[in-house]
Amino acid sequence: MTDLYRHRQLILALTARDLKARYRGSILGFFWSLANPLLLLGVYTLVFTRFFPNNPITAYPVFLLTGLLPWTFFAAAILESTVSISSNGGLIKKVMFPAEALPIVVVLSHLVHFALAIPVLLVAMTAFAFAHQFRMAPTIALVPVLMIVQTFFVAGIAMVVASASVLFRDLRDIITNLMQLGFFVTPIIYLIDRVDSRMLRALLRLNPMTPFVVAYQDVLYFGRLPRLSDAFLMLAYALASIALGMTVFERLRDTLAEAI
Amino acid sequence: MPPTITLQNVYKNYRLWGRGSQFATLKSALLKRDLRLSPESSIVAVKNVSFTVERGEAFGIVGRNGSGKSTLLKLISGILKPTSGRIIVGGRVAALIELGAGFHPEITGRENIYINGIMLGLSRREIDQRFDRIVEFAGIGEFLDQPVKTYSSGMYVRLGFAIAVHVDPEILLIDEVLSVGDEEFSQKCIAKIQEMKYRGVTLLFVTHQLDQVRNLCDRAMWIDHGEVASVGDPVRVVDAYLQQVSSGAPVIPVLATETPSPEEEEEKNELVEEERWGSGEVVLSRVALVDDSGSELVALSAGSSVAIEMDVEVRAPQDDFVFGIGIFHADGTCVYGTNTDLEGWLPQRLDGDVLVRFVVPSLELVAGSYRVDAAVHTRSGRAFDYRRGALRFVVGSRVHDTGVYRPRHKWEFDGAVRFKSVDMLERNVPAPIAEYIRDTEEPPKPEYRKRKKREE
Repeated sequence: MTDLYRHRQLILALTARDLKARYRGSILGFFWSLANPLLLLGVYTLVFTRFFPNNPITAYPVFLLTGLLPWTFFAAAILESTVSISSNGGLIKKVMFPAEALPIVVVLSHLVHFALAIPVLLVAMTAFAFAHQFRMAPTIALVPVLMIVQTFFVAGIAMVVASASVLFRDLRDIITNLMQLGFFVTPIIYLIDRVDSRMLRALLRLNPMTPFVVAYQDVLYFGRLPRLSDAFLMLAYALASIALGMTVFERLRDTLAEAI
Repeated sequence: MPPTITLQNVYKNYRLWGRGSQFATLKSALLKRDLRLSPESSIVAVKNVSFTVERGEAFGIVGRNGSGKSTLLKLISGILKPTSGRIIVGGRVAALIELGAGFHPEITGRENIYINGIMLGLSRREIDQRFDRIVEFAGIGEFLDQPVKTYSSGMYVRLGFAIAVHVDPEILLIDEVLSVGDEEFSQKCIAKIQEMKYRGVTLLFVTHQLDQVRNLCDRAMWIDHGEVASVGDPVRVVDAYLQQVSSGAPVIPVLATETPSPEEEEEKNELVEEERWGSGEVVLSRVALVDDSGSELVALSAGSSVAIEMDVEVRAPQDDFVFGIGIFHADGTCVYGTNTDLEGWLPQRLDGDVLVRFVVPSLELVAGSYRVDAAVHTRSGRAFDYRRGALRFVVGSRVHDTGVYRPRHKWEFDGAVRFKSVDMLERNVPAPIAEYIRDTEEPPKPEYRKRKKREE
C-alpha cells in the first residue's frame, strides 16, 4: 500500500499515457469506449421491451445502464489486468519497475472510462424523467462513494489476476469464460427481487458483484439508500480483495521478472 | 569510504516452471492437484560471487555469452532477487539494460521523456529542469512532438540514453548499450560516461567491447560459468580472458545458461563472424597471427614482433595474383593496408600451396582491439578469396596512451626539470620496457639530473 502511494506519480502518469495512447489516432476518441455498453444497451433494450413486451421494469434502458456500467468496469479491468504484466515484460525485465503499478494503472484507466460513460446515463435519466417514466433522486450523489469502494474491490482482484496469470498462462481464458457467466449471475438485465426462487436469490447474493450492482441500482434507479447489508458486504469485499491482492502479489513478486 | 556495491556469496538459480517449459497452466496444476509453485528444475546462473565496487570506481565485467554477466547486473539493479547471498547497494541506481525499454510507441517523445523520467525516480519538477538538456543530448529535434513509433531505432536509443544519464544517478549500470547507435553517438555516450566518472559516479559495465573495458575501467572482473574467474587490473583481466577464449574452448558456448537476447546474439556474431567472398580458385585456408616462435596469438603487447601467416591453397594455378593485408581498429578505422602489387611484387606463377608471411618486427599499435582482413586477388581486383575479419587480436599495454599508432619514441629534457624516481611498474611503464630500461641503464638515481632518456 505504501509502495503504491510512493509510486503515485508513476501510476498517474502511466494512466494518463494509457488513455492518451488509446484515444490518439482514433477519430471518435473516447466514444469508442462507450461503443460496447451502448451496443449492449441497444440489444437488451430491444429484446426486453419488444421481444418480451411484458417487461415490468419501467425506464428499462436506465435500469440496464445502472447495472451495466459498473459491471463493464469490473469485467474489462479484470480481463485486461491478466495481460498487464506480461505485455509489459520489457519494463519488468529491463527496468527497475514496480510491477504492482501495472494492474492498478489498468484499473484506473477503466475507472476513467466508467466515469466518462456516466454522462450517457445522465442523458438517459433526464430523457425518461421528461417522459414521466422516471424520477431523479438525490441519492445519485452517492455514486462517487460506490465507485471508490468498487475501485478498491476491483484493484485487489486485478493484482491477484495480474500476478497469477504470469505463472498460469491459461488464466486469461478461464477468466474470459467466467466473466461471460458472471454477467448472467449478476442482476444486471433483471431485477434480483423478481427472481422467484429463494434459493436462487441466495445464490445470486453469493456473487461479490451483486451487492455492488444492486447498490448502484438503488441509488440511481430506485432513488433510495443501499441496504445496510449490501453496504457492509461491499466494504468487506473491498477490504478482503485488497488484502488478498497485496498478499498474493507480494508472494509472487520476485518470480515475476523470471517467469515472464 | 564504504564501497557502494557489495556482493557477498551471491547465488542465483533460474527456476524452470512446468514440464521443461517456462510456464505452467492452472489447468495442469489443478489436474495434478498441486497448486504449490514448486519449480521442477533450476539452472545456476551465478555461483558464489563476491566483490565490491568502491565509490567513484569504474568496474567492468567481461565474460562469454551466458556466463552470468547480465544476471549480475540485474541482481545489482534489483530487477532480480538473489537466491542466496547478500547484495548491498548504496546510492541512486540507474540501469541502462535496455535503452527506451519503457517507451510507449503511440505517445510523443515529450510525453515519453516525462514517463521514463518518473520511472527512473525523478519528479515532474526535476524532469522540467532537465528537459532541455535531455532533448539537446538526444538530438531528436522536430521529432520531439511526434509519436515515438515514428522514430528511427537510432533516435529511440539516443532518447533512452539521454534520459537515463540525466537522472544524475550515483551508480550507473550499463549493459552493452554503448555498442548501439551510430559512431558519433557512441562517442558522445562514452564522453558523457567519462564525464560522469569524473564527477564521481560509480560505473559498472557489462560489455563485449574489450577496449572499452581497458580504456574506461579502473578494475575489471572476468566471470566464467557464473563464477568469478579473475578480478583486478582491467588489462590483465581482459588478457587472461582472451587467452582462455583463444585456447581451445569455443567462443560461442554450446550450452548457454541463459538464452542470449537478440542483442547478445548480434554481438556474438559481430565478434566471431567474418565476411568472406571470392571465386575460390585460390583459397586462404588459414590466416593467423603468430609470434617469433610460431605460436598463434590473440593478445599481445605493444611493440611485439609478429607475423601474419596465410596458408594459401591453390586449386587452379594462376599467373595474376596479389596478396593483401589490411589492419583495422575495432571502430573500423583502417590502420594500415598494403599488398604485394602495391609494393612492386610482379606476379609470375602460382601453382602450388604456399605459406605467405607478412612479418612485422615491431607492431607499434596502442592498446585496443584490431581486425585483420586478408585477401588474394587479381591485379585488377577480382577476388579469389577475400576474408574480411579473418582474424582479430588485441593489443594490451600498461600505458594508457591514445590513438592508433604508437611511433617509437623517447622523451628528452633539457633544463631545470626533474622527475621523481619511482618504480617503473607503478608508473605504468609497460613491463617489458621497464625491464629493458633496467637492463640497459644504471639503476635509477634518487634524482634525475640533466638529460634523461626513456625509450618507449
